[in-house]
Amino acid sequence: MWTRVGDIDRMLGTMDLLRSRMNRLFTDYDRSYGEDYGWRITRETPRTNLYDNGDKLEITAEVPGLLKENLNIKIQGNYLEVSGTRKADAPEGYKTHRAEREAGSFTRSFTLPCDIDVDKVEASLDNGILALTLPKAEEVKPKQVTVK
Amino acid sequence: MTVSTEITKKEETLPGLTRNIPVVAPVVDIYENDDEILLHADMPGVTKNDIEIKVDNGNLEISGVRTLKTSGAVNWVEFGEIDYRRTFSVPQTIDIEKVNAELKDGVLRLHLPKSESAKPRQIEIH
Repeated sequence: MWTRVGDIDRMLGTMDLLRSRMNRLFTDYDRSYGEDYGWRITRETPRTNLYDNGDKLEITAEVPGLLKENLNIKIQGNYLEVSGTRKADAPEGYKTHRAEREAGSFTRSFTLPCDIDVDKVEASLDNGILALTLPKAEEVKPKQVTVK
Repeated sequence: MTVSTEITKKEETLPGLTRNIPVVAPVVDIYENDDEILLHADMPGVTKNDIEIKVDNGNLEISGVRTLKTSGAVNWVEFGEIDYRRTFSVPQTIDIEKVNAELKDGVLRLHLPKSESAKPRQIEIH
């Protein structure tokens, strides 16, 4: 049975390749499509990733074109709220041929898997990616137990 | 009955190409005035060194690979490594020598100046 896993993996790989090709195919027809499987879905909130690093959580979000003044982060216990506004950056005196990038504001809230030490939270913004480092509260941090 | 298992060694000569990351088209805004065409593309997470802009025979291709450094256990993942890639047709009137680009806050801004001969001119009547 397990010898077939390779075949399945290869098949899924081929499907991924097909999807990538399809994603590009759409642009060949000069239509505007975003990331979501080739179809453009209006995303109201940025995509995020959450990783658990033992004593801290790390959350990253895609926020292209946002400055730190445009972002607002609120944390209370295990509740995190990220809100932001993206201003239209259309230059003056130009006519618009295509406007796929959306401006507007968003709010996204998360229930984190544990409480956070709010005072030690760090946030950075780099190349349009917002990264938050959220140290876990002392009482939920993993503890080392030594055997006596 | 014997089961023969062959181990084949795979040489990865082009790790950037063999790694299977999805190819997607970035969303863009395109503006134009009398002097230039201006293109804004959202490419969050792509660094300057990973962006490639090629103008060839009336085709403009922008591409950029986003690599992410991650560690720890996944709670949820909504975005990953991506190969942004999109091709546009550009008019021959673009002065390729003067094309310039800037990358700031995950947004690529590409200026495509029009050549002098292609700029609109006011003709005065004598």
